[in-house]
Amino acid sequence: MTAAGVMTAGKGAAPSRIFVPVLIFAPCLLVYLVFFVWPQLSLLAVSAFDRGQVSAAHYIRFFSDEYYWELLGRTLFLGVSVTLITLILGVPVAYVIARMRSRYAALLLVLTTFPLLVSAVVRSFGWMVLFFRDGVVSNLLLALGLIDQPMQLMYTLTGVIIALAQVLLPLMVLTLHGVFKSIDPDLEHAAMSLGAPPWLALWLVTLRLAPGGIIAGSLLVFSLAISAFATPALVGGARANVMATTIYEQTIELLDWPFASALSAILLVFVLLISLLYAKALDRRSAGEAAS
Amino acid sequence: MTIDPRSPFGLLLTAVCIVAFVYLILPILVVVVAPLGDTGYLAFPPQGFTLRWYAAALEDTRYLGGFLTSLRIGVIVALLSTVIGVMAAYGISRYAFPGKALAEALFLSPLILPTLVFAVALSLFFTRTGLLSGDSRLIMGHVIICTPYVIRATLPVLRRFDRTLEEAAQNLGASPLQSFFLILLPVVKTGIVAGCAMAFITSFDEVVLALFLASPGEPTLPVMIYSAVQLGFEPTVAAVSGLLVLLTCVFMVIYQLLGIARQE
Repeated sequence: MTAAGVMTAGKGAAPSRIFVPVLIFAPCLLVYLVFFVWPQLSLLAVSAFDRGQVSAAHYIRFFSDEYYWELLGRTLFLGVSVTLITLILGVPVAYVIARMRSRYAALLLVLTTFPLLVSAVVRSFGWMVLFFRDGVVSNLLLALGLIDQPMQLMYTLTGVIIALAQVLLPLMVLTLHGVFKSIDPDLEHAAMSLGAPPWLALWLVTLRLAPGGIIAGSLLVFSLAISAFATPALVGGARANVMATTIYEQTIELLDWPFASALSAILLVFVLLISLLYAKALDRRSAGEAAS
Repeated sequence: MTIDPRSPFGLLLTAVCIVAFVYLILPILVVVVAPLGDTGYLAFPPQGFTLRWYAAALEDTRYLGGFLTSLRIGVIVALLSTVIGVMAAYGISRYAFPGKALAEALFLSPLILPTLVFAVALSLFFTRTGLLSGDSRLIMGHVIICTPYVIRATLPVLRRFDRTLEEAAQNLGASPLQSFFLILLPVVKTGIVAGCAMAFITSFDEVVLALFLASPGEPTLPVMIYSAVQLGFEPTVAAVSGLLVLLTCVFMVIYQLLGIARQE
C-alpha cells in the first residue's frame, strides 16, 4: 500500500522536495509512533494512576519496601558482574582477532557471531544442563581444586551471571573489535621498540586510545544485562529474582499491571540514562577517530 | 600480530582466547550433543549413543507446528521490516531535515531499550485499544525490534553509495523511481540481504514478545522450548533445541557462502 504511494509520487513530473522525503519516512515513522512510542508512553501513564486517580502509590510501594531495593541492587550487581566478565574475556579476544591475519580473523568472527544467532532460550538451556546437580561445571571446578564440595549453580545468581555473560560476550567482542581494528598496529610497534613490554604497549596504546569503544561496549552489555529476561528466568528461577523476572511475574502471574508498569518504568529510566551515556561515548569515539 | 605468540604475555592472551571460545561454544554444543545420550535423562558428556530423541523430536507434530508458526511470523516480519527499514535508511542517507538525528535514534532505540518493558507496554496497549488480533500483534512487535537491524545493515552501504550514478541515470532519462530500482537497489543489495537475514533470525529466535503476544493456541517454537524447559528436562526438548542449532549452522554457512560468492 505504501509502496504504491511512493510510486504515484515518483510518476509526478516534479515531486515536491518535501513530499518525497515525507512519503519515504512515513511508513517507518508511523509504525514506530503507533506501536512503539504510544504503548510505552501509555505504560508510563498507567504506572502513575491508582484506582482512577493520579498517584505515585506504585512508586512509593517500590521505594518504601526493602525487598524491592534488594531486587534493584541484585539487578545492578548482575549488570556490573556480567559487564566485568565480558570485558575481561572480550578485550583479549577482540584484540587478538583485530591483529590476526584476515582469513583466520574472519573465521573467528563467524565463531563469535554464531552464538548471537542461537536463541537465548536454547543457550540458557545448555547452561541448565551444565549446571544441574553434578553438572560438568561443578565437577570441573572440583577437579581443579577451586571448590571443595559440589557447587549448585542452578537457581543461583552466580549461575545467572555465568550464563548471561556468555549470552552477551559476542556483543562486547564485536563492539571492541571495530575499535581495535581502527587503531594502527604501528603505534604498538613503536611503543615496544622504545622498550615497553608487550602488556604495557597494549595498555598504553590500544586501551588508552579506545576508551570510547570500551565504554560503549560496557554500557551496551550493562543495559542488556539488567533488562534480560529469558536467561534469569530459566537459570535463576524464582530464587534469583531480578527486575525483569519480577515484572513478568507481576503481569502474567499476579495480573498487577499498574505495579508492573511502575517497575517497567523504573527499569526503562535506568536503561535510558545508560543509553544517553552510550550515545555520548560513541560521539567521543567518532570525534577521537576524526582527530587521529 | 604485533605481540610474539610465544612470549609469556602472548601465551596468556592465547590462553584467554581459548577459554573464551570454549565458554562461548560449550552451552551450544551441549544442546546438540546431550540428546544423543542413551540414558533417558540429559547428561553431558552423554553416555551411549542413540538417535531416538532426535527422531522423536522430528516426529512430534506439536514442535513441527511451533516451527511453522515461527517460520511464518519470521518471514512476514523480515519482509515488512526490510521494506520500512530500507525506506527509512534511504531517507536518512539522502535528505537533511530537522529532527533527523532524533528519528534515527528512535528507529535504532529498540536495540538497547528493554524488550520486556516494550512487551508489557504493547500487551497493555493491545488489550486497551483492541487493535489488531491474532498473529498480527506479535508481528508488529517483532517488526519494531527487527527494523533496527535492517537500518543498521543498510545505512552504511547507502551512505557510501555514489550518488552521481543515480544522477547520471536520471540525466539519461530514467525516472527517479527507475533509477532507484535499477541503479541504487542492485548496488546496496548486500546490505539489504544482510539486514533481512538478521531480521528473520531475530524474529525467529525471539521469546519475550512472543510470551506476551503470541496467540495462545499457536505458540512459537522458542515459547514452546521455554515452557517445556521450565517443566523439566525432557530429552526431546533438547533434541528440538539441537535441531534448531543445526538449522542455524546451515543458515550461517549458506549466508557466508553467499557473501564469499558476492565478493568474488
